[in-house]
Amino acid sequence: MKKQSDFDEARAKVLDAQSEADQLLAQKPKNVELIGAPNPSRRSLLKTLGISAVLVALGGQAFAMLRSLFPNVLYEPPQKFKLGVLDKFTEGGTFLEGDRLFVFRDKNTFHAISAACTHLGCTVKMVKLNQPKKVTVGGKEIEEQVEFHCPCHGSKYYGDGTNFAGPAPRPLDYFNLEVSPDDGQLIVDKATRVSQDFRLTV
Amino acid sequence: MATEEISRTKTNSFLGTLREKLALKPMWEKLTWTWKPETKREAGDAIVRNFILHWFPAKVSLESLSWGYSFWLGTISAVLFLILTITGGILMFLYVPSVERAYLSVKDLEFSTSYGWFLRGLHRISAHLMVAVVFLHMVRVFLTGAFKNGRKAVGQNRPLNWIVGVALLLITLLLSFTGYLLPWDQLAYWAITVGTNIASSAPVFGDPTRFILLGGTTIEQATLIRFYVLHCFLLPLATFGLVSYHMWRVRKDGGLACTEKRYEEAKKQEQPAIASKTYSLLGITGGSAVDVQNVMIDDEKDKVPSSPYLTVRLAVVTLATLLVSILLTLLVRAPLEEAANPAVTPNPAKAPWYFLWLQELVTITTFTVGGITINGALIGGIILPGVLVAAAVLWPYFDKSPVSSIGRWFPKERKWQNRVFVIIVAAILILTFIGTYMRGPFWEIYMPWQEWEQAPRRF
Repeated sequence: MKKQSDFDEARAKVLDAQSEADQLLAQKPKNVELIGAPNPSRRSLLKTLGISAVLVALGGQAFAMLRSLFPNVLYEPPQKFKLGVLDKFTEGGTFLEGDRLFVFRDKNTFHAISAACTHLGCTVKMVKLNQPKKVTVGGKEIEEQVEFHCPCHGSKYYGDGTNFAGPAPRPLDYFNLEVSPDDGQLIVDKATRVSQDFRLTV
Repeated sequence: MATEEISRTKTNSFLGTLREKLALKPMWEKLTWTWKPETKREAGDAIVRNFILHWFPAKVSLESLSWGYSFWLGTISAVLFLILTITGGILMFLYVPSVERAYLSVKDLEFSTSYGWFLRGLHRISAHLMVAVVFLHMVRVFLTGAFKNGRKAVGQNRPLNWIVGVALLLITLLLSFTGYLLPWDQLAYWAITVGTNIASSAPVFGDPTRFILLGGTTIEQATLIRFYVLHCFLLPLATFGLVSYHMWRVRKDGGLACTEKRYEEAKKQEQPAIASKTYSLLGITGGSAVDVQNVMIDDEKDKVPSSPYLTVRLAVVTLATLLVSILLTLLVRAPLEEAANPAVTPNPAKAPWYFLWLQELVTITTFTVGGITINGALIGGIILPGVLVAAAVLWPYFDKSPVSSIGRWFPKERKWQNRVFVIIVAAILILTFIGTYMRGPFWEIYMPWQEWEQAPRRF
């Protein structure tokens, strides 16, 4: 017959052994490598490397897809082109529909004003005034024959392209003009903006 | 139920034998239903086991079926999206996304293809209706405070679903925008011009955004194909994903917000023991333990089986939406403007009605501070709409009105919130009205009864 004390003794032994084992386990092994046991630092390193590799691969592909949508070659019409011989342009303003451009001639001086509204890019319309109007722009008084009105949001510009009503934030663009040395045609460069004082004298 | 079915088969002997011979019904049932329901409980189970109907709960509360609470606006939007998907799929066979042929293919659709005008008209009308209905849906959800969490149910997150809804409204507008560009007529060309110039008015990111949208610096073939792919693939895909999530969330959030008040009422009363076993189709949701404080609602007493109560109403809403769309299609012919012409801007150049408030905003918001002029495109086209969207997204997190105001029309507790919202909506509607009826040539103000001055079209 086992007695209660036997059980107690056995339990005490087990507990002792357990605490001894716990103590042993709590001690960090010094200079000991557990053969076959997983190395936690190696495992976490590999995990981090693996996840990073996946992210880099996905990121790279996402970049490639997005980058492909930015074209490297544009098959667009050139910004600098010939407008025609000088005699084509009569005194006053001429609207060149396809080029979205107004070319103005005052005897032998020329200047070109963009027809693209500076607000949101609609084509402004040239409105011929019944009577010449005197307006003051930047302290100077000028006499204008025409005005430019925009059909999209109602911006208005004086004959020299200065905005005076509506949402346009700045005057219409002036483009550089030159005469072609080979055939004497007028050349416009829509990529080169010039000041409002620009005049090409021929 | 079962005996009725049998007697019907017997009296209608010809059809009955035909059916038996062709084995049509059993085959259909084998494909879609695993067995035939004989009791209410089985009818509920049948809903869950049915391929088409599995997203419904087995039982729904009567108040969430009410016409006057939700006006079924979300369902109508989904039906419109379905109509748009089907008609759009057919239109894709007939439309050519090339700058040379797009306009001609739409013209063919309108004048030479059999019923082409009807397909295009139905697609267009459904799109217009969808913009309106999605907007009204948002107004309904706001005014009834349905973006608020009520009872402390596990996993309830109505604010998130509200944000998904805001995203869906924006995608609906983008779908409409990309859609009306495709005919490549004057409306299309000048809408792209104005739309992409608004994008380019943003600081730093503006020009690259315009460049990637246009696929270059001018509006050309690259632009058309980009908007075509957005319209036919990416945006519908996003809509489908978000709508699915939106509907799933409604279930996760415990159904429509109008059911919340029943939980509030039940809390006040003493809880009797629940007679039958209650179970939820949501199963066991996340969390560590069942909340024993939760108020339980007796399903048997307050709810009705989804079939037929919900399914019949759904059929009615679907048919009514289709009917209205078709009638409007027959009454209103879809317009087609002149072919796109970069040289001539129509005078006036008007956006479709749902963008006219934005067109008004970009018109009136250019201003100058200390010599620096800020373009209305940036303020009215990007900053103000951005502020409105941000306010909509954040609103639920600042809403501190009591739970008792959820799911009711015009609650006193949310009076001020609703007033602010209605004022914003009214401002948008007034600007839309001005843009639609009070703007003439050169965007000048005209009274609705005033005749427009004849403006020169070209020079």
